[in-house]
Amino acid sequence: MDLLFYALVVQIASIIVIASVRNNHKASAAAHLLLTAGLVLGLSSSFPALVFSNSSSLNFSSLLNPANIFRFDSLGLFFLNIIQLVAIPTTIYSHSYLRHYIDEGKSVTSNFIFFVLMIVSTQVVVIANHAILFLICWEVMSTTAYLGILFEKEKRDVQTGSFYYLAVSHVAVFLLYIFFFLLHQQTNSWLMSDFHNLQNTGSLFILLYTLGLTAFGIKSGFMPFHFWLPRAHPIAPTIFSAFLSGIIIKMGIYGIFRTYQFFNYAPEWLGWLVLGISLISAIFGVWYALAQHDIKRLLAYHSVENIGIIGIGIGVGFIGSAYNSLPIQILGFGGALLHTLNHAIFKTLLFIGSGVIYQNLGTRNIESMGGLVHRSRYFFILFLIGSIAISGLPPFNGFISEFIIFNGFFTTAKELKNYYPLLMIISAVGLAFVGGLAVACFTKINSIMFLGTERKEIKKFHISNYEYLSLSILAFFCVLIGVYPQPFIGIVNKVLNNGFVTANHSSELLNINWLFISIIFIALLAAIILIFFLKRLIQKKYGKRISAPWGCGYEGLNYRMQYTASSYADELNEIPKSILVYHKKVQSPKGIFPAKGSFESHSVDLIDSKILLPAFRSMSKLICRIKFLSYTDIRYYIAFILITITIYSVIAFLWN
Amino acid sequence: MELTTFVRGIISLLVVLGFAPLFAGLVNKLKAIFTGRLGAPVLQPYSDLKRLFRKETINANSSSFISVISPTINLVAVVIAAAMLPIGFERPLISFEGDIILFAYILGLARFFQILAAMDIGSSFEGMGASREAAFAVFAEPIFFFTLGSIAFISGLTSIYEIYHSIRLDNVTYIVFIIVCSISVFILAVTECSRMPVDDPKTHLELTMIHEVMILDNSGVDLFLYQYSSYIKLFIYAILETSFFYPFGTRSYTVAIVIFVVVITTLSISLAIVETITSRFKMKSIPHYLLFATAIGILNLLIYTFTV
Repeated sequence: MDLLFYALVVQIASIIVIASVRNNHKASAAAHLLLTAGLVLGLSSSFPALVFSNSSSLNFSSLLNPANIFRFDSLGLFFLNIIQLVAIPTTIYSHSYLRHYIDEGKSVTSNFIFFVLMIVSTQVVVIANHAILFLICWEVMSTTAYLGILFEKEKRDVQTGSFYYLAVSHVAVFLLYIFFFLLHQQTNSWLMSDFHNLQNTGSLFILLYTLGLTAFGIKSGFMPFHFWLPRAHPIAPTIFSAFLSGIIIKMGIYGIFRTYQFFNYAPEWLGWLVLGISLISAIFGVWYALAQHDIKRLLAYHSVENIGIIGIGIGVGFIGSAYNSLPIQILGFGGALLHTLNHAIFKTLLFIGSGVIYQNLGTRNIESMGGLVHRSRYFFILFLIGSIAISGLPPFNGFISEFIIFNGFFTTAKELKNYYPLLMIISAVGLAFVGGLAVACFTKINSIMFLGTERKEIKKFHISNYEYLSLSILAFFCVLIGVYPQPFIGIVNKVLNNGFVTANHSSELLNINWLFISIIFIALLAAIILIFFLKRLIQKKYGKRISAPWGCGYEGLNYRMQYTASSYADELNEIPKSILVYHKKVQSPKGIFPAKGSFESHSVDLIDSKILLPAFRSMSKLICRIKFLSYTDIRYYIAFILITITIYSVIAFLWN
Repeated sequence: MELTTFVRGIISLLVVLGFAPLFAGLVNKLKAIFTGRLGAPVLQPYSDLKRLFRKETINANSSSFISVISPTINLVAVVIAAAMLPIGFERPLISFEGDIILFAYILGLARFFQILAAMDIGSSFEGMGASREAAFAVFAEPIFFFTLGSIAFISGLTSIYEIYHSIRLDNVTYIVFIIVCSISVFILAVTECSRMPVDDPKTHLELTMIHEVMILDNSGVDLFLYQYSSYIKLFIYAILETSFFYPFGTRSYTVAIVIFVVVITTLSISLAIVETITSRFKMKSIPHYLLFATAIGILNLLIYTFTV
C-alpha cells in the first residue's frame, strides 16, 4: 500500500513543478502530466487493493503510519477509487481548460495548486483513521475548493456565491468538530476504527446521529441545505464545479456511511426521515432544474436530485437495519453506493461538457445556444450518453443503480408486509416521477443546446483532443457499468460484506439476474445497429433526400421560430404553481401594426426564498444587535482571541 | 432457459408483432361504424405500412443523426417491451425478477429519443408536440406504478409474468382492487398511445396534436418504423389489459386463447366507444385527467391496504 503514499507524493510534486516554472504552457503540461501520473499510480494501487485483497491486512508500512492514523477498509477504498477515477479525466480536461487562461495571460498557478491540494486532501479524507487528521483534511478540502471557486474573483456574483459555499462548509465543519469531540469523549480514542459499535440507545445516541447526519447532509446538499449548490456551481471554474459536484458532495455521503458504521444500527424513524428528505430533495431538485436556463445551475440542481436518489437508497438501508433484515440493507446501501459511483461519473461528464461549451460560446444560457450537433457530432454523442445515464434510462449505468434501489423497495415490501407495501409503492412512484422529470429536463437541454439551428452566430467551436479524451473516458464507464454491471456489483457487494452490514455473506445483490440484463442490453444495441443498416439498404432502394421542414406552406422559417427552453418547459412549470414559484411577464404585441412584444420568465426556489433567506436575514439582524464590541482595527480582534484563549487555558488548567 | 420456452417466447413475440396493426385497424373500423361511416378495411394498417415502406425518405435540412437513429431505437425499445409481456399463460421471452422496472424504463428510452427527434427538426410544430409529450409522460409514469406496480408490491413478485399469474379470484376486496387497477391501465393506455380523449390522431390541425405532430417531418421508412412501433405500443397496452383476465383461463390452451380474443375485441369496442362519445380534452386539462387516474390508484390502494 506504500505505493499509494508515493502516488500522493507525486501528485503534490506537480505543485512544485508549476510553482517553480510559472505560468507557461510547458510548465502546465508537465504539472498536469505529473498529476495524472500520480493519480494513475494511485488508482493502480487502490484498485487491486479494493478488488483482490483482504482489506483488513492492508496498511502503510509502520514508518508512514504512526499510531494507525490511516486505515484501508473497503468502504474507504471504494470512495478512494471513485475519487481517483474521476480525478484523472478532470485533470486531463484541466490541461486544456487552463491553457485558455494562459493564452489570455492570466496566472493559473494558484488555481492549479488549489486543484491539486483539493484532490490530494480528498483522497486523504477517505483513508484517514485519526479523527483530527480527518478534520484537517476535510477543512483543507473545503477551503481549497473555496479558493478555487474564487478564480474570477473580480466578478460580483463570484464573491457572493462563493461566500455561501464558505459559510455552509463552516457550519458543517463546526458540527463535525462537536460530533468527533463527543465521539472521542465516549470512546476515549481518536481513531475512527475504535468508534465502531457504540451504544445505540439513549439521548446521546440520537444527538450524535443527528449531528453526524446533519453535518454530512449539509455537505452533500440535501434539501433544505441545497442552496449553496446552485449558487456556487455556476461561478466556479469548470474543473472545480466538476469536482465539487462529482466528488466533494459525495464526501458527505461517505460521512453518512461512516456515521452509520459507527453505530451499525439505525432506528426506524431515522430511516423514514432520511427517505422522506431524500424523496423531497430528488423531486424538487429535478423540478427546479427544469426551470433553469443556466446550464451549470441546472446541473447543480440535478446534483440535488441525485443526492436525493442516493439518500433514498440509504433510507431503505436504514429501515432494513432497524428490522435487522440483511437483504433490505444490502439492496438499499448497495444501490446508494453504486449510484454514488455512477453519479460521480456522469455528472463530471456533464459538467466538463458544459465547460467545453462555455469556453467556446462564452455563455451558459442555453436559450442562446442551438444546433451544436452540426459543429461536433462526436461531442454531442458523449454528452448524450451522460444525459441518458443521468435520466436513469437503459442501457447505461444510471439505470443499474436505480434498478437496485427499486429492488430495495420491493424487498422491503415483501419482508416487512403490513402497511409497508403501501409506503414502498409511494416511494417507488416518487422515484419513477423523478425519472420522468429527469427525462423532460435532459431532453430539454440536449435539444435546445445541440439540436435545431443556431440561435446565435457561433464564431468558433473547437474541442481539443484532451477534452475529447477526458469525456470519452467518462462516457466509456457510463456504457460499461450499464452493459456489463456484474464486476461493479461484485465490488459493491464486497464493500458491503466487508464489515459494513454484517459478517454473514449475503448474495442479495448478486442474485439479481445481471447476466440476463447484460444480454438484453447488448441485444438492444445490436438490434439498433442492425435495423439502422437495414434501413440504409431500404433507403438505397427507394430513395432518400433532404428538404426544408414542414411550415404549413410558409417558406421563411428561421431560427427564431424554434421552440425555446422556456416554452418547452412551460407545460410542466405551469402546473405546480404553489410549489415552484414561476413568474412570467408577457407583453403581447397589440394593434394592427404591433410594434413590440416581450416575454420574460424566471423561477424562484421556494425553500430558498421563503424559508432560508428570511431566516438568515433575521439571524443577521439579531447578531447585529449583540455586536457591541465592534472595531475596524484587526489588532483588537487579535487581542480578543488571545484573551479568550488565556481564559480557556486557565479554566482548563484549574479543571484538571 | 430451456429451448422450448425460448421458442414459445419467440412465438408469443411474433404474435404481438404480427397482430399489432390488426388491432389498430379493428379499433379504427369500429370507430367508423359507430360514427356512421363505412370506414377503411380492418387490414388497412398493413397496407399503410406497406405503402410507407416503399416511399422515399425525406429528412429536414436542419436535422441531424438523431432523426436518423431515433426511429430504429423506438422500434427496438418497443419490441423489447413487447417481449416482456405474457400471451396466455406462456412465459414471455424476457422474464426475470424486476423486469417491470425495465419495462417502464425501456419505454422511457423510446420516448427520450422520440422527443429528441422531434426537437431535432427545429420547427415549433414538433417542439409543441415534444413539450406536451414530455409533460404528460411525467404524469403517466405514476399511474403505471400505482396499478401494475402496486400489484407487484402486494404480491411480492416483480416479474410481469408472475405478477399476472399471482392474480387470484378468491377475495372480494382483491377482485375490486384488480378491477379498479384495470380501469387505471385503460386510462394509461389512452394516454400513452395518444388516443382520444388525450390526443386525437385523426385531427387535421397540427396545433392540436401530440404524437402525430412529433413525426410530422418524417416519411418513408422512418415513418414506417414510427407507425409500426406505435401500433405495437397500442397492442402492448391492450395485452396489459387482457392479462388481468388470466385467472379465468389457467386450465387449458383453448380457453386462454378464446379469452384473449374475446377480451381484445371487447377492449377495441370500448376504445372505439370512448373515442366516439368523447371529444379531445383541452391541453390544459389533460394533467388533471391524469392526476385523476393517479388519485384513483392511490384511493384504490389505500382501501385495499386497510380492508385486508
